[in-house]
Amino acid sequence: MGMGGEPERTDLILETGGLNRLLELSSADLTLTVEAGIPLAELQGELEKEGQFLPLDPYHEPGHSIGGVLASGWTGPLRLAYGGPRDYLLGLKVALPDGRVTRSGGKVVKNVSGYDLKKLHLGALGSLGVIVEASFKVFPRPAAEVTLRWTGSELGAALAEARRALAAAQPPIALVLESTPSDYLLSARLAGWPRAIGRMSAELGWEEIDPDFWRTHQMAGSDAWARISVPPARLDEVLPALPVGGWACSVGVGSVQWFAARQREMVEDVRRRAEAAGGHLVLLQAAPDLKQAVGPWGAMSSDPALMASVRQAFDPNRTMAPGRFVV
Amino acid sequence: MALAPRLIAEFQSLVGRENVVDSPHDLRIFERDASITPAVPDLVVLPRTRQEVQGVMRLAAAHGVPVVPRGAGTGLSGGAVALEHGIALQFTRMRSILAIDRAAGTAMLEPGVVNADLQRAAARRGLFYAPDPSSQNACTIGGNVAENSGGPHCLFYGVTANHVLGVEVVLADGRCLWLGEEGPDRVGLDLLGAMVGSEGTLGVVTRIQVRLLPLPESVITIMAAFASIEEASHAVSAVIAGGVIPVALEMMDRTTIGAVEAHYKAGYPTDAGAVLLTEIQGIRESTAEVAAVIEATLRSHGTSQLRVAGDAAERDLLWAGRKGAIGALGHIKPNYYLHDGVVPRTRLPGVLRDVGEIARRHRLPVANVFHAGDGNLHPNLLFDLREPGIMERVESAGEEMMWAVVEAGGTLSGEHGIGIEKNAFMPWIFSPDDLEAMRALKDVFDPQGRLNPGKIFPDPERPPRLRAHIGTASEANWW
Repeated sequence: MGMGGEPERTDLILETGGLNRLLELSSADLTLTVEAGIPLAELQGELEKEGQFLPLDPYHEPGHSIGGVLASGWTGPLRLAYGGPRDYLLGLKVALPDGRVTRSGGKVVKNVSGYDLKKLHLGALGSLGVIVEASFKVFPRPAAEVTLRWTGSELGAALAEARRALAAAQPPIALVLESTPSDYLLSARLAGWPRAIGRMSAELGWEEIDPDFWRTHQMAGSDAWARISVPPARLDEVLPALPVGGWACSVGVGSVQWFAARQREMVEDVRRRAEAAGGHLVLLQAAPDLKQAVGPWGAMSSDPALMASVRQAFDPNRTMAPGRFVV
Repeated sequence: MALAPRLIAEFQSLVGRENVVDSPHDLRIFERDASITPAVPDLVVLPRTRQEVQGVMRLAAAHGVPVVPRGAGTGLSGGAVALEHGIALQFTRMRSILAIDRAAGTAMLEPGVVNADLQRAAARRGLFYAPDPSSQNACTIGGNVAENSGGPHCLFYGVTANHVLGVEVVLADGRCLWLGEEGPDRVGLDLLGAMVGSEGTLGVVTRIQVRLLPLPESVITIMAAFASIEEASHAVSAVIAGGVIPVALEMMDRTTIGAVEAHYKAGYPTDAGAVLLTEIQGIRESTAEVAAVIEATLRSHGTSQLRVAGDAAERDLLWAGRKGAIGALGHIKPNYYLHDGVVPRTRLPGVLRDVGEIARRHRLPVANVFHAGDGNLHPNLLFDLREPGIMERVESAGEEMMWAVVEAGGTLSGEHGIGIEKNAFMPWIFSPDDLEAMRALKDVFDPQGRLNPGKIFPDPERPPRLRAHIGTASEANWW
């Protein structure tokens, strides 16, 4: 995994692939508990048998383990309707750097008992410990789905049309704007009851495409990959600065996957714009010299000293990939 | 221990004399929230700005004085009670809605904004704020953030943590930080996630940015009566298992219905063993289908009477009855002990049977009014405090009920918080290592242990006896 800084030292690589069991699936309760090393695709396969799913669709699939997705903080287009793991993770079991195993949360859908420590581990790249087990709230598959496509040649028009789709009485569950060398493509995933989909399709007026689009779209990734995150209303300040072709944006979420983030000046320029818009540009995969030159993370979300203190409380000896995370 | 007059004078010059309460008579007003254990603060300070809050925190830090942030004092777990005295930081003067951004669907608030006031302001713009605790006519968003409050509609929309984009927080040493992002991904640790629901023990929130959602096009509210709690709880489990989820699914038992109807006359059948109140929201084409599926499930699980609210007035009355239930129970007995456990929905029938049996064995009436769709029980023990020896039975019954919840794979609190009320029972669901990890976080934010002391963590000096919630039900007129 190419995310983050170069670790200061690596003495041991801990692979979680052996922790791959599905521990508990209660389809009647809509809850699921798995070991962290289980592949996301396998987990989804088991849920599909019950007519359920986890609305977690990170890019560069298949291949991710659930623990890896949680630790890296990667999400995909379904975030628009369902939020991210932060919103449907019920409990987490973590092996702390000193070997103690701790739990936060539980297996029920509402829980305010004690501090919500599980959230600290999401996106933390294992800096506070190794995720070993996770419990989730799962969702029923929608009754029906349809995927619609709009094609245009102008970015401004594409953004306006995307926002029109998002303002619908029943918005799509996913909406992606892709820039290709020749045009701009909008793909909207409508889900729900057939008559509801019928009405929303008619109101949108786009053409229907094969819903297999989402499966192939999810496979996207590259070795020069930056993730840009800004408040959705401020995408206009960032997207025009991206070169044409090689990026996909979840317009309602404010998240852009830039798959051709190679050139230093351009990366720095886009990062500057993202940060001015209250957001970030993070390198998910990059050549070592680019990472070295611009830094993998950019501006931090919170006070560095406070984050460092929290990290130190859990990993006082800097055992967990020191130098990889922001603190 | 009272504060030295010179120190009180310093607080007065920070916020103005009129914003400090120090007379023993007036301080008594702040000794309770809606839970049992009273404790009088040494001083009540009402800040008007974030800068004043920082000043108060710095001064308190310099003198080792505990600080307890306080909203409307409606909490049920003792979160706003100044257990170790010190300063109650009362947010009544900071209750403005600073901004509502209709296009972005966000609002910026001071912590003292009353939940219902936010709902009204949002509604004027075609929006709503999803977390709707039953106490919403009084409770504040700051309090909601501290407890990670829920409400009936969080079945579908999620709880407070799912709707807070960021908070401005003043730490124990007076530093002020913003936690959270308006955009989708943060760079660093999710400190906002740890702060929401931390019951005022990690920091004092002075500003909150929340997410607002568009009001749904169509709302269908259904009331369904059943012969027994058992039948109704099987119906709940079936609705959830059926995979067609309403936005709310509430249950009330016969005892509750009787009290509600005596006061509200909302149209709940008083001869029913239990009723379910469920709501569906969305576009017309969707709500019609969802309502049809749920209606069919309710009917196939034995509903004796099913009514769809014909208009907004009828719907509002049904909800007023539900949300006013705890107060209405004052008809039956003057005091109440309200629980807050969560179990998997499939375990509801069994746990509710246990609750009934425990109450019977202790010869106490129990009223069940709760978020059945989430498995979030609120068994309410009713009693008269003046009855000799009653507290022993109430506490014993409460402890057994909580144990039944934990044994069913549940948790101690779904929305009211641990506070003083349930901290002794944390070892039932968390190992010493789990609690140690939480301690480690607390020590980072509040090394002196002055922020809302005595909450959440088990106190080794206080033996694990259940503290009952003796509220006076007639006072509880906001839910």
